[in-house]
Order: sequence, then structure tokens, then C-alpha cells
Amino acid sequence: MTYSSPSLVESEHQLLGSYRADAASGYDELLDDDGTIRPSWRGLLSSLVGLSPAELAIRTARLDRRVRETGIAYDIFADPNASSQRWQLDLLPIVISSPEWDWLATSLVQRARLFDRLLADLYGEQSTMRRGLVPPELVFSDGSFLRPCQGILPRAGPLRFYAADLARGADGQWRVIDSHTETLAGVGFALANRVVHTHVAGDLFKRCNAVRIASYFQDLQLGLAAHTGRDNARIALLTPGPHHQDYFSHAYLARYMGFLLVEGADLRTKGNRVYLKTLEGLKEIDLVVRCCDSGLIDPLELDPAGFDGPPGLLRVCRGSPRLVVNAAGSAIVQNRGLGPYLAELSRALLGEELLLPDAPRWWLGDPLARQHVLQNLDSFVIRKAQEGTGRPGQAALGYDPHAASRGERERLLREIEINGATLAAEEKIGFSVAPAFDLKGLIPRPFAMRLFVSRTSDGYAAMPGGLAMTVDPERAVALSAPDGHTRDVWVLSQAEQRPHVSLWRPKLESARVERSQRVLQSRVADDLFWLGRYCERSDWTMRVMRSALRRLEEDSGPSNGLDAAQKCLEMLLRDREQAATFQRSTATATANIEHLCRQLISGSASPRALAKTFAGLYRVAHLARDRLSLEAWHTLSRFNPGDTWVKSLPMAVPGTLQDLLEDGLASIAAFNGLMHENMTRNYGWSFLDMGRRLERAYNLSEAVLMLFVPPTDPEQESSSLMLLLELADSFITYRSRYRLDPLLPLVLDLLLLDESNPRALACQLAAISHHLESLPDSRQGVSMSEDRRLILSLQTTTRLADIEAIAEEPQRSSLESLLVQQLTVLPELSNAISRHYFNLTDEAPHRLHLRGEPLP
Amino acid sequence: MMFDVRHRTHYRYSVPVVQSQHLVHMTPRDSERQSTLHHSLMVEPAPAMRYDGLDAFDNVVAILDIEVAHKEFMLLARSTVETHPVISTDFAATTPWDRLDAALAPGAAGFDLDVIQYRCATRLTAPTLAVADYARVSFPPGRPVLEGAMDLTQRIYTEFTFDPTATDVSTPVARVLNERRGVCQDFAHLTLASLRALRIPARYISGYILTRPPPGHPRLQGADASHAWISVWCPEAGWQDFDPTNGLLVGDEHITIAYGRDYNDVSPISGVLLGGGAHTVAVAVDIESLDGRTPPP
Repeated sequence: MTYSSPSLVESEHQLLGSYRADAASGYDELLDDDGTIRPSWRGLLSSLVGLSPAELAIRTARLDRRVRETGIAYDIFADPNASSQRWQLDLLPIVISSPEWDWLATSLVQRARLFDRLLADLYGEQSTMRRGLVPPELVFSDGSFLRPCQGILPRAGPLRFYAADLARGADGQWRVIDSHTETLAGVGFALANRVVHTHVAGDLFKRCNAVRIASYFQDLQLGLAAHTGRDNARIALLTPGPHHQDYFSHAYLARYMGFLLVEGADLRTKGNRVYLKTLEGLKEIDLVVRCCDSGLIDPLELDPAGFDGPPGLLRVCRGSPRLVVNAAGSAIVQNRGLGPYLAELSRALLGEELLLPDAPRWWLGDPLARQHVLQNLDSFVIRKAQEGTGRPGQAALGYDPHAASRGERERLLREIEINGATLAAEEKIGFSVAPAFDLKGLIPRPFAMRLFVSRTSDGYAAMPGGLAMTVDPERAVALSAPDGHTRDVWVLSQAEQRPHVSLWRPKLESARVERSQRVLQSRVADDLFWLGRYCERSDWTMRVMRSALRRLEEDSGPSNGLDAAQKCLEMLLRDREQAATFQRSTATATANIEHLCRQLISGSASPRALAKTFAGLYRVAHLARDRLSLEAWHTLSRFNPGDTWVKSLPMAVPGTLQDLLEDGLASIAAFNGLMHENMTRNYGWSFLDMGRRLERAYNLSEAVLMLFVPPTDPEQESSSLMLLLELADSFITYRSRYRLDPLLPLVLDLLLLDESNPRALACQLAAISHHLESLPDSRQGVSMSEDRRLILSLQTTTRLADIEAIAEEPQRSSLESLLVQQLTVLPELSNAISRHYFNLTDEAPHRLHLRGEPLP
Repeated sequence: MMFDVRHRTHYRYSVPVVQSQHLVHMTPRDSERQSTLHHSLMVEPAPAMRYDGLDAFDNVVAILDIEVAHKEFMLLARSTVETHPVISTDFAATTPWDRLDAALAPGAAGFDLDVIQYRCATRLTAPTLAVADYARVSFPPGRPVLEGAMDLTQRIYTEFTFDPTATDVSTPVARVLNERRGVCQDFAHLTLASLRALRIPARYISGYILTRPPPGHPRLQGADASHAWISVWCPEAGWQDFDPTNGLLVGDEHITIAYGRDYNDVSPISGVLLGGGAHTVAVAVDIESLDGRTPPP
């Protein structure tokens, strides 16, 4: 390779200087033994050399921002800015040449075919065990070998998803360090990485002529549709839920593929079918793409404590074995102990030599292997033979006898003796290094990568890409990369690339014009309802605090409403259930308000403390994320309990706090605006809006009750009226209408009864009523449902109220009873809506046990 | 001996159950020790779906799916079973436990997946180091396997206290060993964990045992019970049953319902409910001897 200008040579030197200096042991992906750049990397390197250091730094920063915005993470509730667990994507991919990829793809497909055959045999004839090809105790000691699946799995059709973790040893040979047959093994992470990376490095990708992965997913999608044998099959991706470390991957994949993202509690078995619980009743599911452990998908026949799937799922599978992919029980062949037996199995089951073997490992249930390992214990790492779903980068590090004390070694030896059948010993084969990007230039980093295979209508296909991660070669023998430093994997092509076809844009022939709502799971309706409530609660609480803090700044005097503001803060701090009177301290009003604000930010006593409200807001926003646009989601990201904005609230002095609250209120306003402008007016919208309005109606009623019952002196009342107009954002409306100082009857009319004022109580009730009318009522023909009855009673009272008479009563008892009715019935209404729409029953399924207890 | 068994299970719920699904192992299986002459399983309310078949261990299983709302659920299993006398085995002549590997190796006469699977621990029978230590006392090197098994059975009987309040269905064997208390399931699981720590094939048996009233008292209705014990394999005698709860060799007063690796494989009834609230359950087992022999007082 020649460079036309000396500055390019110089920048190549700059880029590679530290890489060359940092001599690494093991195979080098970038440089050959002579220090020359390998042909497959030349295209990428020359493109990089053409970019200035400043440009590279900008791109790295953009990449980081995109990762954050997309929300790629193991733990979606963790602090996105904390360094541990933070998902990082390197600007530099791993590059694989075209011939090498062809070999890898063929080898991986062979392994998928092998595991497919082996699974069918283990759950069917078991001839491999009878013939001594697989040690029976290896299989029977593995808890993921699920006996109830015997006879089901062989009828379930071929293994659909397979993934392999690969590392290249010092000899330059790739080896499989782990296999994954249980679930899709985090392919959503690889997909998200690619999408994000292409935004920032798309030009480099094109120039290198790397292969796109969209057609892989298209084939996968077609393959699954064909598997169901139905047109317009309803496909559900079954996830354990947001607390699972792969949840991001599940949600992203479901969205990309157009699958319904469901949890166990969303499904129900009935007869020989499985159904999704939706607002409109049960909808049949044609295919379940399983993203949870097999053992946890049916509490009736499998692990009694596992509710990741609906009870009875296995019973349904017995009648419809193709319903679940990968079929339940598929994890058994990812057992690490199988490694030494694969070559022989390949000959026996496929009649082929195994192309790509496992890294050297031993199953410790075998007496001879055990003896060998015990004699050379220091050169091995002892690990569990079976490790479940295989989150990318999260493989357990294993037990290194080398570093163990004498006592620990003693224990380990006994453990191997007793439980050897569940353990494997592995040699450290080392990892090859590839360049990672650093502001100083490129640096060599050891890595391992996960590649994915799936079944298409046309046999197995490997995804031309993957998920690579930086590993610590001293500790890891598998894909253990807890620091979350990831890379894209580029497969170079010699052919010209077809134009980009993304699944985000379905072809017209496969799309139908559809105006009815998409299926809305009852659970999602619940989440949206609470999203509305938390949003409004955040808004109101911040408004009250802001008004109170503003009053601190103004000239002090009895009329400035400090007292009213204080009352409102106290009301928010009180538990709704226990109407205990608040102990007012004798300190100055200023000190009091500051104290109350602080308690309202992080105090644990009040259920309405901001810390709790924001945590709830962020949680439900996450749960409903696939219903929110990216922009809408971004506006809420500051409410993540780990965000610096949230963290700075408790420390802020009053002046700063006011600014912070302004920012928070602006975010909520932006979110409401986006939802209002962009969200389709479907059932989802109805629940979001009802939640918001219910909360608003409650807060307003509570504030009016607190400020005006019983009556106070005229001066204080007038400052309370000002405060109320400010909180309800109706000051301008009032002024433009009346051009008078606030008067109680006029303000009450505007804020309680005027249905045309979007902030008025009556308007909230009318909107809720309207939404309830539009929702499907499962109890057609029967008497009016509880929720509709309650809203009608609330509306009737407000419509019949004579506001002038009410305002003139000396003790205001009519006003009090009107408001107390609101405050009693609104929570009942919320419960009634929950009962009616969010659950088919009040409880989650639970399990019953009986044990015999004979008398001795 | 010939027995008539009535096994009645009655659930009552505080609020209606919307859907309930049950897995039932209540049909006595045939074996060398017994033959089932008659069996019926009555269920109320009637299930929308009922699956009858064999499980992975060839036990008779029924899976019920009840779709009507109900506040009571009743199961009545009636069986007529004939048990055969146990052929006595010379325990001292059985294969030493530490030579079973050879007997079970591929190619050997004893190589049988149906036996080998019971050498392997399960979650409920996972041996800890303490369990292995406990087991080794009964199995010094070279001891015939059934001799060791009898010794272990009697040790558990004498050293442990029957105490239904000490454990529940999820108590791990390590705690049972530590506290020396439990019920028949716990003792069966501990015995299995001990044997499997030494890779001796052993299985869990669920069944009934005929109980004896205290001297001078009449037999009480429903006083019999479902029970659990274990079975150990040796090349000479095949499967031999031991009852660690009672410290004895199983004779013809034990009726086998089902066997598997542990309780989870064969529990008489388990269920998953939607709704139901709190529940109460009443179980009554009556075993009547049909050939005129009443158990000695």
C-alpha cells in the first residue's frame, strides 16, 4: 500500500504508533508476524488514516451518545453514567475477510445441524447415549435436560437459533468457547450495535464493502412465518421482563422484527392454545419466540417457581409442538462437557468431520478425564458445565485453582469428586488481539466474539456480523466481559452489495392498510395509565415547589402567600391514607419551606416524594417504551433515578433548585406535547390520558379543599387564590376573562366547573368519561360497569353544583362535601379501571402443593 | 395382599378460581411388587380438558384443565391393588458400592439408561460436602451396596425426628441434615442425596402405607396416608425398596403409586391457579385390606 502524501504516512504512524509499541502475545488480527497490516484490515485502516484526529474524536463521542440515546444496556434501570456496566461500542469493528467468513459460516452451520440432530435424539430415541457417544450421566446430571419435554422436542421442528462464542488461539485457529442453543443469545444487542455504528461509521462500512445484516433478519422472519404455516401469524417474543439483563435485546429485536413483546403474565393457556390477554379479550398466539430459560416457562410441569411462561404451556406444546421456538429443553446441548465428544458425534450423526471444534475442555464426570485434570489442576479453570441463557459478556469467570489457598483446593477436589458430572475443566487458550480506538491512537485489545445462526426456510444461515467484546485474557476463558466494551463485526465481501433493505420499512405487499388499533396487552394499558399518572404527579409536585420557592424571593409580607404555599407542601407530604395533621414547626416560614421542599424531594415518609415519583415514572416509561417515540423517550430520560439532574436536586440551594425545577417542568411539558401531537388516538392513548386526568383532578380537588375549607381571613384567601391560579396554570385565562383580582366564586367556577378550561376539574371528568365510553366493554349487555358508574356520579355532582351559593356558605360545607366526594371516589375509580381492564383476575397465577405427612 | 384405596382430596377457596390446572399422580403403577386391578379418578368440577398418559418415567399421569369458576375442587382416586411378597435378597452378597461403575459401564450387563439416570443428583437431592460425609459412614470401601443402604436407612430412622412443622416442600436437604427433622419427603430426599453423592442409583417412590392404630384403638377413617420412600439398585436384585421414615425394608404393606428422581417428578397433586385467594385442603386416605387379613395390632 502506498500513500500519496507524507502527512498520511505520518498519521498512519500516529494511529499505529502505540499499537506497535504495545507488543502483545498471541495472534494479532491487524498485523502479521512482520508487522505488516493484514490485507483484510487495509481498507479500514486507510479510511481511518484519512480522518483527522479531531474527526475521530468527534465520531467516538457521537457513537457514545447514540448508544446512550438508544439505551443499549444490560441493566436498563442502572445509572447510565456510571462506569461499571456501561455499554460501550468501539469505533473500530472486528474485520473478517471474505474467505475466512465463508469457512466460519460453513463451520457454524455444521455445528447447528449437529446440535439439531443431537437434541432430537436426546429427547427421542437416545441412541447417542446407548451407543456411548454421549455419557448418560452428563445428560442426566444437567438440570436443563427437561424430562417432561421428552417426546415433544423431536416433533417441534428443527432447532431455530444457535449462537457460538469464538476465540482465536495463538496458533491462529478459531475455537468455540461456548455454544448457545437455549435462546437467541442477545442477538438484539448485535443488531442495535450495528444500527448505531452505521449512523457514525456508515461511510467506512461502505468503503470497506462490508456485508449488511438486514437480509439475515428478513430470512429469519420468513423462516418463522413459514414455521407457523399461517399467513399473518401472530408472533410473540416471550421475555422474562424488564429486570432481565437481556431485556434491551428482547425489546429491540421484537420492535425490529414486528413481534409482540410479551411476558408470562400476558399469556394464558386454554385448551390446546395459548392466548394473549388484551383489552379486547383473548387473542390466539401462533408462535412463541422464547427468550427465557426453558425450565421457567411452565410452573405446572417444570420448575414450580418459574412463571416466565403461562402455566400449562407444555401441555399445549404436547398438542402443538411447533408453538415454541427454540423448543423447550434445547439448552442441554450447550453443556460445555460435550466438547470432547463433538468430533465423534459429528461423524456418527452427520457423517462429517467436525470443522470447528470446541476449545480444549474436559467433562469432570468422566473418571479418566477427572484423573487427568486432578493431576494437572493448575493449568485448568473449573467451570459449571451448564450456564443457562448466556447473556453476552456475562459468562461466569470460573474457578481458577492456581490462585486458590490450600483449604480451597481441598474443597474443590471434594466438590469435583461429588459433583464432577456438572463441572467442566478448561484450558486457557488465550485470545487474539485487535485494535481498539483510543484518543492516543489504536491499542491492541484481546477479544472474543459471538456469532449467530438461525434456521431459514432454506436450511441454516449465519448472520454476517456479530457481537465482539473485549475480554481480560488472564481471567476469562469464555465471553466474560463485565466492563461492557463491545465491537461490531464486519464481514468483508468480494461481491457488490445489494441496496439496503431494512425491516423497519416493510414491503408494500406484506403490509396491509390497517386503521384499527394494534393489539394492546392489558399490561401495557396498565403501564400507560400509570405513565400518565406519574407524569402529572411529577408536574404538580414540581409546580407546588416552584411556586413556594418563588414566594421566598418576593418581598415578605403577610399577603405574599407563603402560608398558602406551605399548606400545599404539607398536603403533599401527608400520606393520603392517614390524614394526620402536620406538625408545624415554629421556625420561620422561609426555613420551613426549605425544609418541606427537601422532604418532598427525597423524604421517605411521603408516598409523593419526588424521588419515588420519578422512579415510578421512569420505570413505567421503560415498560411502555415500545409505545413511545425516541424523542418522547428522551424527554423522560432525565428522570432516571441515576441521572445527574435527579441527583443534584437534594443538594441544590433554593435559587438553583428553582432552575432545576424549571428544567424538569419543561421536560414534562415537552413529553406531553410530543404525546399529544404524535400518539395515535387508540386505546393506548386513552389510558395514558385517563391516568393524567385522574391525577390532575385529584390534586386540584385536594388543593382547593386544603386552601379554602375552612375559610380564612380575606387577605390570606386572596393570596391562596393567586397561588391556586398559578398552580393550575389558569392565571392568564382568569385575567383575560375577568380583569379583576381573584374572587372565590369566579376562580372556583373557572377551576372546578368550567368544562372548556383544560385545567378545570369538570374538564378532567368529561375527558375520562369520554375515554371510558370509547373502550371495549367486555361485559356487554350487563348492568353499567363500575368505572362508568363512578365517573357518572362524579360528573353529576359537579354539574349540579351552584357555585355562587357554595362560595357564600359561611363554613363552606357544600364545597367540602363536593371535594371530599372527589377525593374518595377518584381512587375508587382508579381501582375500578384496573380491575376492569388490566387483569382478567385480581391475582397472578400461583401454585398449590401438597405433601404427604403420614403419622410416624 | 389385596387392598382397596380411597384417596380423597378436597380444596376450598375463599374467592372463585377462574382457571385451575393440575398435574395428578394418583394411579398406582404396576411393578414386580404389585399389580393394579382397578383404578378410577373422579374430578369435580369436570375439567374442560383432561390428558391421561404416561410421564417420562412411565408413571400414569393426568393433567387437568378446569375452566369454570369454582370455589371447591374435589378429587377422588380409588384403586384396588394387589401387592406381592418381597423376594428376600442376601444383602451381603450384593456388589460393593464402589464397584458399581464397572457394572454400569457401556457394554456391561447393567448398562441401562433407566438405571443410570437415577445415579444423578437433582436440585432437590443435590449433595453437599456434609451430605457426602454423612453418607460415607454407611459406605466404607468395599461394603456391599444394599448392606450400606440398609444401614443408612436405619441411621436416618434413629437419628432424625419426624416433625411436620420443621420443613416445607422447598426445604433443602442440607438443612434437613443439619436440623435432623422433617417428614417422609425430606428423609427420602436426604437418603437419595447421600446415595447419589456416591453415585449409587436410587429413586424416589411416592405411595401409600397402611398405618396401624395404637393398641386397643379402632382404625380411624381417613387415618392412612400418602407416603414417600426410596429404592436402591444393585445388579443382583434390581430395585430394592427402603423406608427411611420407618427404618425398615419395604414389605407388602407399602403401595407404590409412582417413582421418579425426586418429589417434583411424582408429587400426588400439584396445581396452578388463577384466583382463589386463601385455600384450605382436606386429604383423607383409607386403605382397606380385602383378603380378610387385618393388620396385627
